[in-house]
Amino acid sequence: MTNSQGRAPRPARSTRRQAAGRAVAALVIASLLSSTAYAQSVDLSQWSPEYIRSIAGTEEFDTAGHCASVVPLDYEGRLTYWWTGPTEASPQIEHQINEEFWAAWAETYPNIETDAQNIDYNQLLDRLRTTLLGNAGPMVVRLQILGGVEFASKGYFQELAPEDIGYPTADFWPGAMKSVTWQGTTYGVPTNNETMALIWNADIFERAGLDPESPPATWDDLVAYSKQIHDELGISGYGLVARQNAGNTPFRFMPQLWAYGGGALDEAEENPTYETVQLNSEGAVAALQAAYDMYVRDKSVPTSALTNTQNENQAPFIAGQLAMMIAHPSEYAKMVDLAGLATGADKEIADTVVENMRYGLIPEGPERRAVVFGGSNMHFVQPDYVEGGFDEQAAKAFACFWNSPEWSTKLAWTGSNPGNLAGFKTQWMKERLDTIKFLDVTTSMLPSGIPFPVIPEATEIMNIIVPDMLQNALTERMSVEEAAADAAAKVESLLGGGL
Amino acid sequence: MSIATGRAAGPSTSQAASRASGILGRVIAHRTDYLYVLPALIVMLVVIAFPIYYTIELSFFRTPPNLQMRDKIWTGLDNYVTVLRSPVFHEVTINTIIWTVASTLVAFLLGLGAALSLHREFVGRGVMRALLLIPYVVSAVAASYVWKWLYHSDFGVIGAIAVQLGLTSEPINFLDNRQTVLASLIVVNIWKEFSFAMVMLMAGLQTVPEQLLRAAQVDGASAWNRFWHVTFPHLRGVSMVTVLLLMVANFNSFIIPFVMTGGGPADASHIWITHIYQLAFGRQQWGVASAYAVILFIVMMTLGYFYVKALTRGDENRAGG
Repeated sequence: MTNSQGRAPRPARSTRRQAAGRAVAALVIASLLSSTAYAQSVDLSQWSPEYIRSIAGTEEFDTAGHCASVVPLDYEGRLTYWWTGPTEASPQIEHQINEEFWAAWAETYPNIETDAQNIDYNQLLDRLRTTLLGNAGPMVVRLQILGGVEFASKGYFQELAPEDIGYPTADFWPGAMKSVTWQGTTYGVPTNNETMALIWNADIFERAGLDPESPPATWDDLVAYSKQIHDELGISGYGLVARQNAGNTPFRFMPQLWAYGGGALDEAEENPTYETVQLNSEGAVAALQAAYDMYVRDKSVPTSALTNTQNENQAPFIAGQLAMMIAHPSEYAKMVDLAGLATGADKEIADTVVENMRYGLIPEGPERRAVVFGGSNMHFVQPDYVEGGFDEQAAKAFACFWNSPEWSTKLAWTGSNPGNLAGFKTQWMKERLDTIKFLDVTTSMLPSGIPFPVIPEATEIMNIIVPDMLQNALTERMSVEEAAADAAAKVESLLGGGL
Repeated sequence: MSIATGRAAGPSTSQAASRASGILGRVIAHRTDYLYVLPALIVMLVVIAFPIYYTIELSFFRTPPNLQMRDKIWTGLDNYVTVLRSPVFHEVTINTIIWTVASTLVAFLLGLGAALSLHREFVGRGVMRALLLIPYVVSAVAASYVWKWLYHSDFGVIGAIAVQLGLTSEPINFLDNRQTVLASLIVVNIWKEFSFAMVMLMAGLQTVPEQLLRAAQVDGASAWNRFWHVTFPHLRGVSMVTVLLLMVANFNSFIIPFVMTGGGPADASHIWITHIYQLAFGRQQWGVASAYAVILFIVMMTLGYFYVKALTRGDENRAGG
């Protein structure tokens, strides 16, 4: 199970906990229904690092007991599941929690034979598309927040709401629920939600003559800081990512675009209609110009940005050759892991980097501070497209277990936050806040989160058209204005049913 | 005129009829043989003929991202018009031609040079032959990742060596530059393929009669004349096959450009197959991608025709003789 791409057949042995589960279930269900299931667990209007700390560790949950009320623990069945789990680039603790989850799942539902496939982030969508064409899909799939609407609009997914697996919709971020809703119907459950933050190396800042404890407040400041670092030290200032057909690119560029007042469509507005193309707006052009200034004019970002994903920024950052980047809270854990692997002079450099690693809010722009409201959602595939038939009870049991306050929190340990907001009240959330450096910073960015457009064309717009726009401008194949206009025309055409 | 035509048509029609009955007769006579190959034929029909048929069918439909494949919309030849009118198609076609011709020719010439060198006896010939075969046996994906890091625009080994030797002031931008990326990928492809040409031509060199070479040497022919007038004519058949196989492989290349650049930056290293892949799997334009694939299929079939002609030339000559 720990290997990426690996298959992990689960044993189908009936063992224990069934009687206890049934007995406890009735009591627990009553308490859950009264305290959790039909009331919002957290008050989003009070959201702040202080509030998050104040509620952490205030409630206890019995995962097995709750899920027993949805599907009996002795249920015998079969489950196939695809998701993107820990990879080589993930910190060790994520691999460990992943193993613990599968062990706990097998123990709780010992008679559900499970075939789980951990599939690379950049391959999962393609693979699902292909297998669904051949009616050979998995029963349950977890997709990046952007990915589900395409399949829901095509009729591949079943209707699925949190209530179907024993949780109230009110316990999930409204933005996350929007991402699983297509034409008024809910097709999934948000498993985890996160926002990224700006990471910087205080030591490099100091050596470049910048205040080591102050990150750039605005995107214009970030461009200026990046240039100053490059001019003073000869290293890259900001870890720009502009690879084609990769999700990392829009996750880092769209916050900049939104901050300057642009958008792909009107997704940054209060009530988006997704009908107005804004890639050629003044704000979008300003954001693209800022990226151009860093890459072409100042040469203050990695030359390899056009072929890089975020993973390729990790090595230069830990080597002290890159000063700033946008990433998850897990990046700190990853850097600690990398420093642990380094030896000799490299070890000294890596330790200095870890010691000087800082997290701050993503810079503001003239219009707003923005970040991609990220995460993943779990979906049930329509029985017609599932290889070997769909086992509803097994799928529900699994979804209940995975999205419980306990596992929703644990599985998001370093990289994200629980999709089930009740997870913020668990002891495990408290443990995360106590042990994971900078978690409060990334969590504070959540209210600035903007979801990608919830339309079937979103993946093409974000993963193809936006990166193409960046590449056209950064390679000077087109001027900044031409690249923005070209991208806007492509989106117009796409929404109009053309190429 | 009509009589003449009638007279001329008479034998031709009867010849065609007798040829048809002859073919049918031979099929009937060899019906057991056909039974033996039937399982293979059925497999071929399922795994080759059906996908070809389905791709051709799909090329006449539009497949919007919000519709399932079964709800696809009939558009006739629109997808072909879209492909042929697209500026990206022209750019990608030029890239594909440059990629194929340059890779094939240079790989063939390097392979020929290596084969001729290894044909002579010298100490360590076996080791050298094994070393030169390594690129061919290395996984293309692994090789692509290794080369990606060798070429890396910021931390690549080649760029670092160039800076240390004082050849450049900063690392060379191989992969993140529209002007250099295709040439850089072609170098990797040649490195990967030349040993295939070498193996083929080494086999071909075994067929060159030693006594002819000796006779030419006795007659005072220079090394070049011996190669050009004796060796090369004997290599013509295997050279033709090698070049055609390399061309087909290069038209169908995917791994190296896909892994190393994904077709970028800004489409500069897209070749037909990577672009078809992006249209189909990245953009779900299955209809357009299928039209693209059909065009490529026609090109490949044309090449295939010449390949088969080259392979069977000897047989036809013998049959004709």
